[in-house]
This record gives sequence, structure tokens and C-alpha cells, in this order.
Amino acid sequence: MNALRRHRKLTRVWASEPGWRGWFSTVNHTDVGRMFLATSFFFFLVGGVLAMLIRAQLATPDSAFVGPEVYNQLFTMHGTIMMFLFAIPTFEGLAIYLLPKMLGTRDLAFPRLTSYGYWCYFFGGGMMLFSLLFGIAPDGGWFMYPPLTGPLYSPGINTDFWLIGITFVEISAICAAVEFCVSILRYRAPGMSLDKMPIFAWYALVTSLMILTGFPPLILGSVLLEVERAFGLPFFQADLGGDSLLWQHLFWLFGHPEVYIIFLPAAGVISTVLPVMCRTTLLGYGWVVAAAVALAFLSFGLWVHHMFTTGIPHMGLAFFSAASTLVAVPTGVQVFAWIGTMWKGQPQLRLPMLHILGFFVTFVMGGLTGVMVAIVPFDWQAHDTAFVTAHLHYVLFGGFVFPILAGIYYWLPLFTGRKRFFRLGEWAFALIFVGFHGTFLAMHWVGLLGQRRRIETYDADAGWTAINFVSSVSGFIMAIGLAMVLIDVLLHWVVAVRGERNPWHAGSLEWVTMNPPPAYNFASLPHVDKREPLAGDPDLPVRLAKGEGYLGDPFVTWRETLTVEAASGRPDYLVIYPTNTRLPIALAAVTGLFFLSLLIKVYWLTPIAVFGVAALGWWWVWSQGRQSDLGPQDVGRGLSLPPSGETDRSPGWWGTAFLLAANATFFGSLIFGYAFLWTVAPAWPPPEWLEPSLLELGLGVGGVVAGSVGTRVAARGNRTGGAGSSGLLIGLAGTVVAAAALSTLMLRVPAPGGHAYGATLLVLAGYALFHALLTGLMQVFLIARIRRGYTSPRRRAEFPIVGLWADYLTVIVVLSLVVAHLPGMLG
Amino acid sequence: MIDLLRILIAPLVWLAAFSGIYGLHGVGCAYGWSEITVLSLSLFRVALLASWGATVLIQIGLLLALCSDRFGSGSLFVRRVSVTLGWVGLVAAIWTLHPVAILSSCS
Repeated sequence: MNALRRHRKLTRVWASEPGWRGWFSTVNHTDVGRMFLATSFFFFLVGGVLAMLIRAQLATPDSAFVGPEVYNQLFTMHGTIMMFLFAIPTFEGLAIYLLPKMLGTRDLAFPRLTSYGYWCYFFGGGMMLFSLLFGIAPDGGWFMYPPLTGPLYSPGINTDFWLIGITFVEISAICAAVEFCVSILRYRAPGMSLDKMPIFAWYALVTSLMILTGFPPLILGSVLLEVERAFGLPFFQADLGGDSLLWQHLFWLFGHPEVYIIFLPAAGVISTVLPVMCRTTLLGYGWVVAAAVALAFLSFGLWVHHMFTTGIPHMGLAFFSAASTLVAVPTGVQVFAWIGTMWKGQPQLRLPMLHILGFFVTFVMGGLTGVMVAIVPFDWQAHDTAFVTAHLHYVLFGGFVFPILAGIYYWLPLFTGRKRFFRLGEWAFALIFVGFHGTFLAMHWVGLLGQRRRIETYDADAGWTAINFVSSVSGFIMAIGLAMVLIDVLLHWVVAVRGERNPWHAGSLEWVTMNPPPAYNFASLPHVDKREPLAGDPDLPVRLAKGEGYLGDPFVTWRETLTVEAASGRPDYLVIYPTNTRLPIALAAVTGLFFLSLLIKVYWLTPIAVFGVAALGWWWVWSQGRQSDLGPQDVGRGLSLPPSGETDRSPGWWGTAFLLAANATFFGSLIFGYAFLWTVAPAWPPPEWLEPSLLELGLGVGGVVAGSVGTRVAARGNRTGGAGSSGLLIGLAGTVVAAAALSTLMLRVPAPGGHAYGATLLVLAGYALFHALLTGLMQVFLIARIRRGYTSPRRRAEFPIVGLWADYLTVIVVLSLVVAHLPGMLG
Repeated sequence: MIDLLRILIAPLVWLAAFSGIYGLHGVGCAYGWSEITVLSLSLFRVALLASWGATVLIQIGLLLALCSDRFGSGSLFVRRVSVTLGWVGLVAAIWTLHPVAILSSCS
């Protein structure tokens, strides 16, 4: 088969539906990545317009441009959009688009999940946009502190839009994070061991692990605050055993890592683009990997530095102040590695490099002001002033927007297959750089003079007029620069001429593909034996196009790729992907219906939506798998591999493991909240403890243990040629018993509306009950699969996945029941 | 996956210890442990110092294990990264928790 025939055959297998209908059914990472990026930059535009409205308001004293109610919505939505609807989705979009190409594979691990994540983002973002257009947008600041955002002080629907809309959008981030973790660890070109992974993949892996552990506390906080607002369960009301500081802990447990979740992918872009711009390789690859991992972990020890003025004892403050200073070290290691890379190479002042230099200047300044606010006495002075706003913009704009603009200009030829024709970009960079520093240097200054953040106006005699005016004019200069980038990119897309492949002479695998890349990425998969496979091997694209790699002989209808062992890069399984489907958009729409029913408080719709999600989820999984064994398949280069459905550790198992890690963080945060309220909140102990019940405790624990053991027995039975149904039936019975025990607990919880103790127990039991029902549903599903012949001793991948859920259920039910009953037992 | 665990283990242990000792600090302050005296030190201070010491010892143990032939990685790259992060864990344990030795506990 020649290269052209192979290309046509692969295109038939991998292509999306033609025209706009393809947007709704595509699951291809190239399409979804582009959709993510287009949508996130639309939101960047909206957030930017809001920023200009804020600067217009503050340009002059006693301004009547907008009133305080509208102004509150403007700054809240500006922060919310930039953080949740622009920065994170831009990382998601870029990584979705690039990772499979960089890793030398054909798609991400779970293509339908990629698409589902996008549609959750689209619908959730649309919900937020709707609130903005109709003047009912959130107005409590982007970190939504209660009691301001509680039912008493924010009775309207505005806050609900934030709590429900952002939770909906966060589903997208969790989906992407699970996807990236599995893809980076398992979906790489054969031979690509951990030390040969592109540096961007390391950063994406670290960021994804951070999303899995950083987002659940915020999701929990949002759930608790919404439940308080909707049903009166008092988690944050001090007189009823709650504490508004609990929100701050949960929010900043997410919020500080969030800063690094935004910065690290951008640092990945810098570490990828900078060496190419300097005609060399990255200095200290291993040090940079270690620094990224260190930064990720240390960032989880900083959350209280946002709470230095809340009255926490000095020792507690000192822990976080020390951690906040320490985090500068791995950041510094990366910065010095980049400087060393420039020193080692021959920097060329191309457009991406200009943005990288802009990043250096801005981010280092932001880092230094970060060390200033990490010191408690300074923070006490600067807290809640414009100084802090300026600092965070230096870190986020410097640490994210400049690198992303560098990345966009760097990968634009890959996206479009064209070379730049107009030279607007250089002028745009100059305007952005000057405008940014004019805006935010001035804001540091006015903050030190005492201007509070989020004030809608100020008196003329405050002495801030000229500084604010300079800041506003500079802000508009920056906006003009950013608009010019947009025009430059659009012009490039529409009118530029065809460019050569790999115009930067980079060594990474994404430049091996055609520009723009075909839907299948690689006609055959490369075998990688060095970190920059393209460097010194210019014939690699031709050889892969001729089918000289793995899977070079495409099967007629299968979308195929390989997985590898995580550390060594040794190929282990053949993966057959699902094809185009509208299931992701349908599932996202029904998920949206669930959130909408909560938002508009049409609660009869909620169970219908839940049923819809369960039914579509069932269909989603059912449509996978086979009713006959496939056995090892020839994958080229003399290698035969079993399909992933005929293994114990399938991609689904890995995805489940990472999802459960996020889930466990959610549960851990709930336990932390319980302990926090118990030890710190006023109005404890509660008026009455839960009446302990050994029967309830015994049935619950016994039920989940039976559920777990039964599932294992079923897996063993299947492997030895038995049906496995009997073990699953025992497991299902155990799960039902546990669900009954948890339901009883929920009914017996003392006055959940009267004290945070009862409210917390109700949520704890509800969480466990939800998981019992979910695990029960999976056990029923597996019984149905056995009956329909979807399992065999070879086709065993589904048993360990259900086993993981059953084991997780055991852990959370035992812990939930113990913490619920123990206080009453102790007296 | 064991190699990934080697890379993550030291900072993970630091994070768990850091959160745990911060939690212990909250519990001790809430229940007035600083009022109970043992060997002319408050019980609270002893508990905090013991936890800090245990954390540092565990980090030293991890670092030695990551350097050893028995527990360290066979891959040179993973060994270097994991040992570097072993040092990160140890330094972080000493530096971020040193306030237990020098600051007043609950004021």
C-alpha cells in the first residue's frame, strides 16, 4: 500500500462528519482541541471587555459610568471568566490538541470523554454568559465568600449561577485531567520511556494530577453553599454550628493550587518553545521535571496565605508563610534553567521569543511581589488592596497569557499549515507589553497608597486620580494589542500562504505530522529512541507515511492505536477507539438539565435528569466491547498485542483509578470540613448526637464488605471459565443492604436544618448512598453483560473496574458510618 | 507505576505531614493542650515537636531508600528525579514545620 492510499484509507476511518454537523458528533482530539481553544478565546474576549468596563469605571473619581450593583457583577464575572472559562479551558484545549501528536499516538485515551468535557464546558459557560446578559450574574467576587454569598445577604439567583455553573464547568476539567493522566502514562509511541517524554507532557501530567486533587475541595464547597442556600443546611452560619472560614479553607485549598494549575502548562509551553527559539535543547530536563513536581506539591501547602488576616494563630500563619517562601525555589530553578538554555543556545528574536521575554520580565516581577505578600506583616498591610490585584495579574498574565501567546504563534503553522504573512503580531506584542505594565505597575502603586480592591469608585481628594487614569489608559492600550493579535491570527487563518512542514526545525513529534495534521495524526506510529525524535532524522515523516512504523497496515473500520507500559514505554496493548457519536453532547445536555433544574429550583425535573444521565451512561458503556474473543493482533514490526478489553488493567481501569483519586479528595475534604467545624466552629457541641445503632453500623459495614468480596469472586469465576454472575449477585445484595443502612442513617440524622452537625452527617450519608447506588448499578450492568455474552476469560476488563468502585464504596461507607456513630457511642 | 511512585513519594509524605501537623495544631488549640505540662514543656509543644521530628526522620529514611540499590529506581533518570525530590521533601519538612519549635502555639 503506498502512502497516498494509506492516507485515504485512514482518513475514511478517522474523519469527522463533514460540515457543521461534524461539530456535534466528532470525538477526534484535533477537532475538540480546536473547539476548546476557539471557545476559550471567545470567553477571553468577553472577560477582556469586562476588564475594560472596570477600568472605564475607575478611570475618574466619583464615576457614574456603572452603579455598584453592575460593577459588582463586572469584577466578579471578569475574574470568574478568566479563571474558569479562559485559563483552564485554554490549557485543556491546547493539551487536547497537542498531546497525542507530541506523544506519537493517534488520539487521547477516551475520545468520547474529551467531547463530553467540551460540551459540559460549552453549556456551563453558556449558563454563566446568560446570567451576564440578563443582569443576574454572580456579584460576590470570584471567590464568593460567605456570609456575603449566603442566603441572608445574597438572596437572588446570582450566586446560584456561580455555584452551579462553575461546578458544571469543573466536570470538564476533571474529565480532561483523567484523560491526560491516562494518555500521558499509557498512550505514547513505543519506546518513549519517561525520560524521553516531551517536557510539555510532564507539565501536563503534573497539572492534571493537581486538577484531580485541587478541584474537588471547591466542588464540595460549592455543593455545601448551594445546599445551604437552597435547603437551609447551615454549613457556614456561625450561630448554627457552621463557620464561614470553612468556605475559605475549601476555596483556597483549590484556589492556590489553581494559580499553579494555570502557570505550569504555560511553563510547559516555555520549556518547549524556548529551546527551539534558541536552537538548542532544554538545559536541565531532569531538574525542570523535579521542579515542576516540587512546585505542584508545595502549592498545596500555601492555601492559608490567602487567609493571613482571618485571626489564625501565629504558628499556623508561620507554617504557610514558610511554605510560601519555599515555593520560590523550584520556580527559580525553572527560570534559571530557561536562562541557561538561552545562554547555551543562539536566541533568535522571532515573535514567540518576544512573548517569552515578556513572560520573563512580567512573571519574575510577579514572583517577587508574591514573596512580599508571603511575609505575614507585609500581607497584613497590603491585604485586600489593589496591590494584591496587581500582583495576581503579574503572575497570571505574565505566567499564562504571554506564554500562551508565544505558544499560539509557535504552533500556528501546525494548526493551519500556513506561514505568517502580515506582521501585526510584533506591534501587538509591543502594545500588550507596554499597556500591561502601565496598567498594573500603577495598580501596585495605588494599592500601596491604600486603594481597596473591588471599590466601585473613590473620592477626588484621595490622591489616586492620576494613577488610576494612567492605569485605565494603559489598560485600553493593552486591549488594542490583544485585539490586534486576534486580527493577526484570523488573517493568518484566512489569507496566508501555504507554509513548509516544521518551519521552526523543531525536534518533537507534533512536527512529524502533515500541517495541518490529518485526523489520524500518524499513518504509522513511530518507535522513539530519543527525546527529540525528529532532530537529526528528517526522513522520519516519510518513513511513517510509508507505513514503516507500528499499525502501518490499517484495518478497514477500526480506529486503532497502541498503549505502552508507563515507565519503560514498552508496547503492551492494542486499543480500538469508538467512532463519531452524538452521545457526548446528549449526555452533556442531560447533565446540564440536572444543573438547570437545581438552578431554577424545578426539583421534579432533577430525578428525571439523573435517570437520563444514568440511561445514557449505560448506553455509553454498553456500546463498547465485543461478544467474541479477538486475541492478540499483529501491530506491525513483528509484534502482536492483545486488545485492551482482554486485559486486567485496561485504559478504563486506569481512568477509574484517577477518577477515584479525585473522588477520594472530595470525600477527604468533607471529612476535613466535619473535623474543622467540630474543633474550630462556635456553637459546638451540637444539641444532640446521633443515636448510635450497632445494627445499622453492622449492616452497612457487612453489606459493603460483601459487595466488594462478591465482585472479586465474580472476577475470579470469570477468569476460570465460570459465569461470575453468582458472585455479582452476592455483591449486589451486599450493596443493597448497605444502601438501606445509609438510607436509615439519613432519616435518623438529628435536625439537619438546625445545626451544622446534622447537616454534615446528612451530606456524608448522602454521598455514601449515592456511591452505593452507583456501584449497585454497575453490578447490575455487569450481570447483564455476562448474560449477553460480553465477557469471557479473555474479555475480563470490566470486572476489575467494577471491583475498584466496590472497594472504594467499602472504604467510604466504613469511614462514614464510623464518624457518624462514634460521637454518640463515646457519650 | 512504581517509578512514578518513587518520584511522588517524598513530596507526598511532606504534604500529608504538613496537613496533619496543621490539623494537630488546630485540635490542640481547640482542646487546650497547651495548658497541660510535661517535663516543663507543654504537652502540646511536645506533641508538635515529636510530630515534626518524626516527619524529618521519615523523610531522611525515604531519601536513603531512594538512593539505595534495593528501593531506588533502575532508571538513571527516575533515580535522579526521585532523589532530587527526596531532598525537596526533607528540606520542606525542616523549613515549613520549623515554627513548631520557635513560635507561641495558640496566640
